[in-house]
Amino acid sequence: MTYYLLRRLNLLIFTLLVLCLASFYLAFLFPGDELTNLSGVRFSTESERLQSFEYYQFDQGAFLQFIRYLELLWQGEWGISFASNEPLLQEISTFLPASIELSAYALILSLLIGIPLGFIAGLNHNKLTDYTIFSVSLLGYSVPVFWLALLFIIVFALQLGWFPISGRLSLLYDIPHQTGFIILDILRSDLADKGEAIKDAMLHMLLPTLSISIVTSTIILRITRRSVIEVMSQEYIKAAYTRGLNHSQVIFRHGIRNAILPIMPQLALQFTTLLTNAMIVETIFSWPGIGNWLIQAIYQGDYPAIRAGMLAVAGLVVIFTVSIDIMHKLIDPKRLNRQRVKI
Amino acid sequence: MLKSSLYQEEQYPSPMSQTWQEFKKSHVAFVGLCALIFFIVVILVGPFVTPYSPVEQNTDALLIPPAWAPNGGISYMLGTDALGRDVLTRVIYGSRVTFGISIFLVLMAMLVGVFIGAFAGMNRGVRSSFLNHLLDSTMAIPTLLIAIIIVAILGPGLVNSMWAITLALIPQFIHYTRDFVRAEMEKEYVIAARLDGASSMHIFIHSILPNMIEMLVVQGTLALSIAILDISALGFLSLGVQAPVAELGAMLSEGLDVAYIAPWSIAAPGAAIFLVIVSVNIVGDGLRSALRNRLRH
Repeated sequence: MTYYLLRRLNLLIFTLLVLCLASFYLAFLFPGDELTNLSGVRFSTESERLQSFEYYQFDQGAFLQFIRYLELLWQGEWGISFASNEPLLQEISTFLPASIELSAYALILSLLIGIPLGFIAGLNHNKLTDYTIFSVSLLGYSVPVFWLALLFIIVFALQLGWFPISGRLSLLYDIPHQTGFIILDILRSDLADKGEAIKDAMLHMLLPTLSISIVTSTIILRITRRSVIEVMSQEYIKAAYTRGLNHSQVIFRHGIRNAILPIMPQLALQFTTLLTNAMIVETIFSWPGIGNWLIQAIYQGDYPAIRAGMLAVAGLVVIFTVSIDIMHKLIDPKRLNRQRVKI
Repeated sequence: MLKSSLYQEEQYPSPMSQTWQEFKKSHVAFVGLCALIFFIVVILVGPFVTPYSPVEQNTDALLIPPAWAPNGGISYMLGTDALGRDVLTRVIYGSRVTFGISIFLVLMAMLVGVFIGAFAGMNRGVRSSFLNHLLDSTMAIPTLLIAIIIVAILGPGLVNSMWAITLALIPQFIHYTRDFVRAEMEKEYVIAARLDGASSMHIFIHSILPNMIEMLVVQGTLALSIAILDISALGFLSLGVQAPVAELGAMLSEGLDVAYIAPWSIAAPGAAIFLVIVSVNIVGDGLRSALRNRLRH
């Protein structure tokens, strides 16, 4: 176990180092001055440039430059953005929680929809229920998320007017930024009418959450269904029936646990798919998240922001993946390696 | 020819034709295949049947509704967009770009992935262990995220987004090829070939590759639906194909400005993407269950 943990941590550190190296190297690949790309400062005088030349230790060799870059990353000095002239780490810490919040709610929603439906389909394998659920899931699995979001806006926001079109909260409310998670921020603020504000935030959140969770819940449904079908055809299930257990006893004592356990990390890993889809949907709903921010940075050629945003998103995904791996190993130590699931 | 053939037919069906028999049994899968063939025909003959050019602007016919609407006309079947371009023509040309490029990208990624995967599967030791670890971490990252990051680095544009998606698709082909090759290398027929003195290259091409084709087709359909989604998503974000070129995702983002008065300008390209992906996924699912059934018999 310790050996496994060490190997995983080793992999994590190695991958993060590679990411940092890539982001450092990016500053040289992007057009323009590499010092400007690293710091985000456009130098007007030669002495300013010389100062930052020494600050980033560019007079040293490439390896020492990279060490200095890591040191600055660790201290939280990620440079400043061309577009807003704000420190990048601060910008990212404002925008990233909004994306994580959206993806987390969508993940919970997809698990709530996907797992029960997957069980119903898997237990009724080769029956009408299974075929219906499976066919509908195929449609949900194939729909492009940005088109779905647009349809939702046209139908529910424009035609019916049930939900707001864009944004995260009505402009009536002025919530100070604390954690970046809107519900937490509302609860911690000294607003008179917290209930109304939360309701407003929920209404804003519903359409984006729904449009990204439909795709993911169908993936979860299919993974669960395949796992249930495989577990229910095992010998020990037949053995349980021969011992005289009835249908629901078999399912609850033997079926659910054995079906859910192996696919748990895969279900959790859908978070990364969600995060990607959230990045696209954010641009449609003008949600102030990391995807919207990163894509604006790409349009504007804001190289320091692209570098930092890439590092933040990729780092988050890698850390998340490795921690899911470790957690799964803790829950189910018998399993040696992560296996690819079938859908 | 053996005299005492137990099998009644003249020819013993090959594994490939057995899969085809299983595949044909499912009507849904067969309809999906027909739809897929229809789309392929459309992208091949599309330019010969469309009456308009995809970039031809007609200022007399702005935002005309589709033919079935009260004030629509038969000359523009799916209506026109904000610049007076025929939506049907643009959808056909857009499918050419989106679907055609996706097929090309998947083939490229498959070629590179199989090459590297075979190399990793046949070798053991540090080189392949390093590759394994690197792959396991990249497999978990969604391809679109990798593609967005690569486009962010290379800059927006069609060629850059093609590079990005190909690079993002390669890891999964490497992964599946490596696992498959590693499993086959243990089997007797490969050991027999090896004892006969066959080189690794010879074993791979003559013994393993023919067995791998079906797996590659199934993985290819999966990758194809991912590639279509990714390329249209990049087009939608204006990171891929640039403005005048008709591409389904880019058409969606152009239609966004007039979505309220002209919903058909976003309904048509979106529905085209959706239908193509549905048919690809149906065929993929059908193939997968056909393979599963064949192996069970």
